[in-house]
Amino acid sequence: MWQLVKLEWRKHKMSRYFLSFLLCVAGIYGFVVFAAISSKHDINSVIPSYKDFFVLVTLLTNITFIILGGVILSRVVISEFRSKTINVLFTYPIRRKKLMLSKLLLVFTMTTGAIFLGTWIMQGLTYFLQPAIGLFEGTFSKQELFATLPKTITNAIMMAAIALIPLFFGMRKKSTSATITSAVLFGFLINSTISNGGATTSLSDVIVIPMIFSLIGAAIAYLSIRNIDRKDVV
Amino acid sequence: MTYIIQTHQLTKRFSKDLITDHVSMNIKEGEIYGFLGPNGAGKTTIMKMLLNLVKPSSGDIFIQGEPINPSSYRYLKEIGSLIEYPIFYEDLTAFENLQIHCTYIGQEDDSHIVSVLDIVGLRNIERKKVKEFSLGMRQRLAIARAIVTKPKILILDEPINGLDPIGIKEVRELLVLLKRQYHMTILVSSHIISEIESIADTIGVIDNGKLIEEISMSSLRQRHQPTIKMVVSNALEAKRLLEKFVGTHAKIINETTVHVTKTNEKTAALTKRLVLQGVDVDEVVTFHETLEEYFVNRITGGKEHVAIS
Repeated sequence: MWQLVKLEWRKHKMSRYFLSFLLCVAGIYGFVVFAAISSKHDINSVIPSYKDFFVLVTLLTNITFIILGGVILSRVVISEFRSKTINVLFTYPIRRKKLMLSKLLLVFTMTTGAIFLGTWIMQGLTYFLQPAIGLFEGTFSKQELFATLPKTITNAIMMAAIALIPLFFGMRKKSTSATITSAVLFGFLINSTISNGGATTSLSDVIVIPMIFSLIGAAIAYLSIRNIDRKDVV
Repeated sequence: MTYIIQTHQLTKRFSKDLITDHVSMNIKEGEIYGFLGPNGAGKTTIMKMLLNLVKPSSGDIFIQGEPINPSSYRYLKEIGSLIEYPIFYEDLTAFENLQIHCTYIGQEDDSHIVSVLDIVGLRNIERKKVKEFSLGMRQRLAIARAIVTKPKILILDEPINGLDPIGIKEVRELLVLLKRQYHMTILVSSHIISEIESIADTIGVIDNGKLIEEISMSSLRQRHQPTIKMVVSNALEAKRLLEKFVGTHAKIINETTVHVTKTNEKTAALTKRLVLQGVDVDEVVTFHETLEEYFVNRITGGKEHVAIS
């Protein structure tokens, strides 16, 4: 399986997405820092504490990388059906299910990795920058930095599963644009749920919605693999 | 000789359309099987069913004696294929495409990729991206991909599409070489009969999803002896004489023309006999019905001649 994932990586030149990843992180962080600094002295500060700061960071990271996940999905899965390279792929002596699984695994791992690393890099940066610039009121300790770790990981995994939902829309007409459009829609939809929760709603109340959607994402991935052996590739 | 590919009553329907209709093919090990038929006859669908890309609605496929079911995949290791348009990962070079192909098949050794590219006439382009290739070059690269792992079976769907006349000749020679040197069994389809009649050992003719003929080239050539056209003073008398003395079959075309078939007699002997019996002979022409004419007749049921390419 590892070998198949590596082949997918090589075929689609996935290393090109490192640059996209870095640009996204720089863009998000730049925006949040700008928002924090520019509203620091207002009475209604956009970002009064580190919690609000990270709600915003997580929110923007989720939306951005669900969309990037959609782009990767359309490249690794949908475009193979669209350009018919799948006809070649399915003439190899490898079980179709395994081939599809390697593709989805690659997309899922990359999205999870991007969301986790992206959030983590930005938190790390904040840890170093906060004493110097003072992005928000109060301090941001090392303990607090590491305390966010489990939440960051679960969030990354759930969002990456949600990023598989566009597979359903993309595979219907083998359309890359439908894939990316639905990724944009779902990215915004899911994350508006979180941000609307705000500080007053408890975490478990909020988390149930993305959890349901991430299960839907996982189910779509499962269904797309389950019947692949019986499908005609025309 | 054993059969390496066999289909039994192979049928495929797409919704209501019958694409292939109870096709039973028999391909012998080590032969070149020419698969002929007009566009849309069902050739590609049959080839896709052999590769398990398309699943049969009914019927069986046996490859190297093993029955193929919808989830079979191991047998594909022994098959190199080119189906429809040559498709590649456009952003990768010719070399990378073949390298990835070898890895998927399970052959890590890629030392012979350059020599295979050389065989198909793609020299010094292995570092060029496929998106810069012309159709002819893609076709050559697709053939290279099909043969690079030296499979036992080659399934080539219209491999000469987009090639220039020299390219077509090279491909024909390559197929014969692969058969002789590596004992590959080659199933090659075409809608242009003349392109494969010279290299095929067996011909399968398909029309409207039905396999209407499967015949070895040697028996086909035997069956199709030449026709002798004779312009004579009295066709009726000539027919009578020829059938009586020579035992041939003569067909009256008009008052002065007869066509003589199924004879082992030399034209000189036939002419001499007629002249001695008082029938003047003005013209004698021997002509062969080409395979193309034969198949066109076969496909159109002899109703009318329609160009099938």
